Amino acid sequence: MVIFLFGVISTLLSLRMPIGTFRAAGTGLFPLCLGIILMALSSLLLLQLFFKRRQTIVKKGTVVEPSGSTKQLIFFFGTMVLVTLFFNRLGFPLSSFLLMLTLLRILGVKRWTFNLPLSFMTAIVCYFLFVQWLKIPLPKGWVGL
Amino acid sequence: MFESLQHLINGFGIATTIHNLLYCLIGAIVGTLIGVLPGIGPIAGIALLIPATFGLNPTSAIIMLAGIYYGAMYGGSTTSILLNVPGETASVITCIDGYQMAQKGRAGPALAICAIGSFIAGTIGIFGLVFLAPPLAEAALAFGPPEYFSLMVFGFIVLSNVTGTSLTKSLMMAVIGLIIGTIGLDPVTGDARFTFGSISLLGGIEFVAVAIGLFGIGEVLVNVDQPLEMLEQKVLVPRLRELYPTLQDLKKSIGPILRGTGIGFGVGLVPGPAPVIATYASYMTERRISKHPEEFGKGAIEGVAGPESANNAACQSAFIPLFVLGIPFAPPTAILLGALLIHGVNPGPMLISQHPELFWGVIASMYIGNFILLILNLPFVPLFANILRIPKKILLPLVILFCITGMYTVNNSIFDIWMMLLFGGLGFLMRKWAYEGAPLLLALVLGPKLEVAFRQSLMISHGDFGVFVNRPISMVFLLATAIFLVIPLIRMVLKKQRKEVS
Repeated sequence: MVIFLFGVISTLLSLRMPIGTFRAAGTGLFPLCLGIILMALSSLLLLQLFFKRRQTIVKKGTVVEPSGSTKQLIFFFGTMVLVTLFFNRLGFPLSSFLLMLTLLRILGVKRWTFNLPLSFMTAIVCYFLFVQWLKIPLPKGWVGL
Repeated sequence: MFESLQHLINGFGIATTIHNLLYCLIGAIVGTLIGVLPGIGPIAGIALLIPATFGLNPTSAIIMLAGIYYGAMYGGSTTSILLNVPGETASVITCIDGYQMAQKGRAGPALAICAIGSFIAGTIGIFGLVFLAPPLAEAALAFGPPEYFSLMVFGFIVLSNVTGTSLTKSLMMAVIGLIIGTIGLDPVTGDARFTFGSISLLGGIEFVAVAIGLFGIGEVLVNVDQPLEMLEQKVLVPRLRELYPTLQDLKKSIGPILRGTGIGFGVGLVPGPAPVIATYASYMTERRISKHPEEFGKGAIEGVAGPESANNAACQSAFIPLFVLGIPFAPPTAILLGALLIHGVNPGPMLISQHPELFWGVIASMYIGNFILLILNLPFVPLFANILRIPKKILLPLVILFCITGMYTVNNSIFDIWMMLLFGGLGFLMRKWAYEGAPLLLALVLGPKLEVAFRQSLMISHGDFGVFVNRPISMVFLLATAIFLVIPLIRMVLKKQRKEVS
């Protein structure tokens, strides 16, 4: 359904552009064709799923897959989003340290005596590798490194 | 033929400069590591390393990136044999007999046969590349926009047919990739499309962000979405006292290695995830022709030698459509196409004549790379096996840190990191709902070429769609496409009939 909507949106947006003719195609012609094909394919998939589900319900009943650790996943992804948000302000060395520290804790590395030195060492090694050796211009941030 | 050999000798001159040897070595080592480590595959690996090549000339850059691709094929077998966990998808089949051999204390010979088989296949594959690519490039000069359009459509359909469980889902992914590929400036008129006034979107969606997102971040998120206990994998590194295979092992393996090479080379020339298909085809062939098929699945060395040779040969021949036609048939070569374009090289029939140093230099470096990998993978296997001791809960944050840093370095842009995260989330959901990322990535890279070919064809024919079927080469590709579209339908009907009968 989401993909069908994606097709609808791209079709509508394409219609706002010049379409032209097949002989002299406008900017919107190609995405318009793709949007229509996507809508057709997602409709076909919906139909396939509808018939399959009917068969599955008749035969076995609906099967619910056990979900994994959703909370862990949300925290993990959330940390990546937060670090990206403050990447320029924090600078590369501090961002990489905080990223490692938080992600390791989320994944169950809870001992500070292991977690802290590992994150610190990783940040230092990455700083020397990327900034000092490879001369990649990464954000300096508040730390100024 | 002699001309090709002369060019190859010149290529060796380019590949053996200290500079290029170093990049070949780096590519081989990084590739092996990527193959060994679960959680990051060759696609994300190559994409991550592209920014590191910005300061290099195109030849050195492609030498290193190609090294990562075929190096990953070597490394992937290590985890399959020692852990029963494939390092990358082309090593899935090696788990069957490789892990059984390891359980019987024969991990050493299994790993050695993988390295030897991969070396032989790689070497033969390179010679195939040397002698096939130039005549094919000449033939490809006859291709016009309609032929290119039909060939690309054929590629999408075949790739969608062989990846994933549903053709409809894979085709949807390809179309989404094409739509995403239209974001940015129109390649013909230069007008902005789907940019919503954003300057960052004018250049289109960075394909590196999509590759790292779908195949790097997405893979990590799938791993994170597991209970903590599952991240604690027990790594058993066997003693490798008896590393070298016996004479009997070698005798048993030589046939499967040569057959695997042939199968792999052929499969690599057609669209699809060639190394994966090649390993399956080789394994099935070996089991079918074996005098002792009952040994397969219980540690038959033929079940390791054939598939491992096949994936390496496929890897080499996959470079032919990339270099000769400028059209990659699988995501890793699509990423390499992106890298070539970044370095200002437009691959196609004219590549061999316009950039001979790149073409022959890269081919010669592949041979050297295979030799380096043979040396790396025999005595240093215990070292690579020890890398597997790094627990996933430490490895996954490291992969994320490298992904974010690598992504930023492409354009020094935070926007690209956001895009990578967006596609990472999408990649995770796609994996959950059984959608394939490969057609999307390939379509994204090829999208602009496909659109230009489509519009040029219609311009030539004054809007007549007959141009795609009136030209013989184009018609052959479209016929083949139609066959590949009909095959799943026939399969479905036959399945239904069989069910009704039983």
